Amino acid sequence: MVRSIALGVALLSALALALPGAAPAQTKDDTVVYALQSDIDTWDPPGSVLRETIILGYNVYDHLAVRDLKTRKVIPNLALSWKVVDDTTWEVKLRQGVKFHDGTPFTAKDVKATFDRVLDPVKKMIARGNHAKIKSVEIVDDYTVRFKTDGPYPLFVERLTAQVMESEKVIREKGDEWMQEHPVGTGPYKLVSWHRKQEHLLVRNDDYWGPKPYYKYVRIRIIPEQATQIAELLSGGVDIIKAVPPDQMDVINKSGSARTGVSPILRTAFIQLDQAARSGPNPFTDRRVRIAVNLAVDQDSIIKHVINGLGDRVATAINPMAFGWDPNLKPYKQDTARAKKLLAEAGFPNGLDVVFNEGPPNVEPGQIQTDDAAIADMTKVGFRVKRNYTGESSVFVARAKEGKLGPMFTWSWGYYSVFDADAILYDIFKCGEFYAYYCNKELDDLIISGRSTLDQKKRTEVYAKAQKLLFDDAAYLYKWGLRGVWGISNRVDYSAPPDEVDRMFLVTPRKK
Amino acid sequence: MRRYLLRQLVQLIVVIIGISILAFSILHVIGDPVTLLLPQNAGKEEYARYKHLMGLDQPIWVQYWKFATRAVQGDFGKSWYGNTPAFPLVIERMPATIYLTVSGLGVALLIALPLGVVAALKRHSVVDTFCTMLAVAGQAMPIFWLGIMLIIIFAVRLKVLPASGYGTWQNFVLPAFCLGAFLAPLTMRLVRSGLIEVMNMEFIKTARAKGVGERMVVIKHAFRNACIPVVTVLGLQFGQLLGGAIITETVFAWPGVATLTVDSIRNQDFPVVQCAVVLLALIIVIVNTAVDILVGLIDPRIRTGA
Repeated sequence: MVRSIALGVALLSALALALPGAAPAQTKDDTVVYALQSDIDTWDPPGSVLRETIILGYNVYDHLAVRDLKTRKVIPNLALSWKVVDDTTWEVKLRQGVKFHDGTPFTAKDVKATFDRVLDPVKKMIARGNHAKIKSVEIVDDYTVRFKTDGPYPLFVERLTAQVMESEKVIREKGDEWMQEHPVGTGPYKLVSWHRKQEHLLVRNDDYWGPKPYYKYVRIRIIPEQATQIAELLSGGVDIIKAVPPDQMDVINKSGSARTGVSPILRTAFIQLDQAARSGPNPFTDRRVRIAVNLAVDQDSIIKHVINGLGDRVATAINPMAFGWDPNLKPYKQDTARAKKLLAEAGFPNGLDVVFNEGPPNVEPGQIQTDDAAIADMTKVGFRVKRNYTGESSVFVARAKEGKLGPMFTWSWGYYSVFDADAILYDIFKCGEFYAYYCNKELDDLIISGRSTLDQKKRTEVYAKAQKLLFDDAAYLYKWGLRGVWGISNRVDYSAPPDEVDRMFLVTPRKK
Repeated sequence: MRRYLLRQLVQLIVVIIGISILAFSILHVIGDPVTLLLPQNAGKEEYARYKHLMGLDQPIWVQYWKFATRAVQGDFGKSWYGNTPAFPLVIERMPATIYLTVSGLGVALLIALPLGVVAALKRHSVVDTFCTMLAVAGQAMPIFWLGIMLIIIFAVRLKVLPASGYGTWQNFVLPAFCLGAFLAPLTMRLVRSGLIEVMNMEFIKTARAKGVGERMVVIKHAFRNACIPVVTVLGLQFGQLLGGAIITETVFAWPGVATLTVDSIRNQDFPVVQCAVVLLALIIVIVNTAVDILVGLIDPRIRTGA
């Protein structure tokens, strides 16, 4: 008996020794913990479209320009100023005395290398479409660069907020594969370690040129289960979580240990219909079927009853916060009789079968519940919906890119945090783009003309036309502009960001 | 004993070959892998090129042979999404799952053995009824529900243990208990019924007649014999335990191989699925072989084939 107890103790201690060691000496007081539902696919932001990559990118890298969260205006960051030289040339002056995490100074060389890499068609960077209007980048001197654009480029400055500055030396010496796991930026935090699908640890960059973040460490934990995230928030294991389901807001607010923060965000949710037949022939290539589905679903009542009013109904996919949004266009209203009639006309008097691909609810609060409601409405007019769920957003997005998610799938677009209609029209509606399942020559012309003039009044008119067209043609099943819900521990001060970028360097301890 | 071991070893090899064939065929039974991988609008030329590139234009046995010889060297190909080799991806996550299942097994035994023995010895007593109730409750509780309840009680209300995560011993307590509670009821019932059966046997009467103390009768004579079905069933249940680990890992954000496997199946990331299936099956087979040997050690009749 004694022998077996001794054996048991030995086994247990062997087990304990084999456990991974604890992380560097962080304490609760110098660490802020942020949770994500699914992990990023790469630490090289231009190679990813995931919101998570954009967020983490903001904490480790800098951008030439950033958004002032109060005024929502774009202000200088690594750039000190910019000016139009002529219709197709922008000149940008750079900040001096900025260093990358590896100690090399930030200069015009790095700006050129960053854009050259993103724009290189061979590399097929995801972010290429964002900057496709830039033809070349020229170094004037160490701290001045000139951008040559293909025609006038009104979005130039806005788009600067969506491109992290990477190091020329790293691009040249280390290359793409290395960069996927080793971010070398100039930002307020540096990456210490990344355990895939488990945790990232960031440490403060004490050589940072800007204001120093309060917390020395940022732990980013990957917690797939929403109930567990909320439990961690309430028990003090995590300080900030995002995309809280609306039905859980009360639980958090009544707990006494955390609260929710709500903000309208620059993200529109919709269900993409495969009008372009990227996944092969399907009923949604018929305009009548697309209108029918828009008439079938009572989005207003879903907003009111399912997500407690946390959505702003839109007529198309253009967000009310984006430049170019047309407030005069009224959204579809539920009309089941007309929907049935349209389906019958389209050749489906007895209804039709469709597959609905759903991604994880990591950016859209209550997505699964609102899908349930939308499908219930669709069923009433004759759609027989088969659901197909993918649990990981990196995979869901990759499949969308490859054209595999037709005939319909959940989608939302955060505009790369660029507050302009072009930032969704180009990526989501222009023929042949990665995530566009819609193709219409007439719309493409409008999109191109909208991004080719500096005259904002003319641009507004162009976008009004584009929205009318998208509405009449019922390109996708339109939903609403989102309001983000964050869960915030009472230990910290933090406000919900309208551009959906969680900046851990802004988190401070809560004033008592 | 040597012949017995040899027989076990031969069986092991046959089973492993069987598993490798199954894992290999995963890719082929779900449809054409090339169509699955290529964008929908890819042309015929690209299709042919890709098929050749993946070696899928070769005869099936050649493909299997390539798969098997590479697999033996730990090369299952690259993950289709992570762009990293599948083998290290799976191996990296293996320890977490092994710790979880082993500690879950430990918890199950810690609960099941004492309660099972007491229930058997005090048959039809209040204690026995209590144990039966516990077993029924334990068996009826869905594992994810128990996990969330444990989190709410110990992490959110009492704040004594972390709700999720991995790395310190505190992180182990809730998941291990959750998984252990899943296996304990069955084990406890087996211990109880095994012991009751053995206690009625002639050799127990003999032992008692010899004047052996009741304690020694139970521990030395009865318990050892009652252990045989328990050990066998525990070996068989090990696969179930890995199944339970999937849910436990998800609820507690535990970075184990079970969730990796399920995610990869959902993502149709077949190199990872194949690698994980082969390695997990290998573990189950090894555990079962170990159990067979253990049972042979406990009961000489089994190893001599009597």
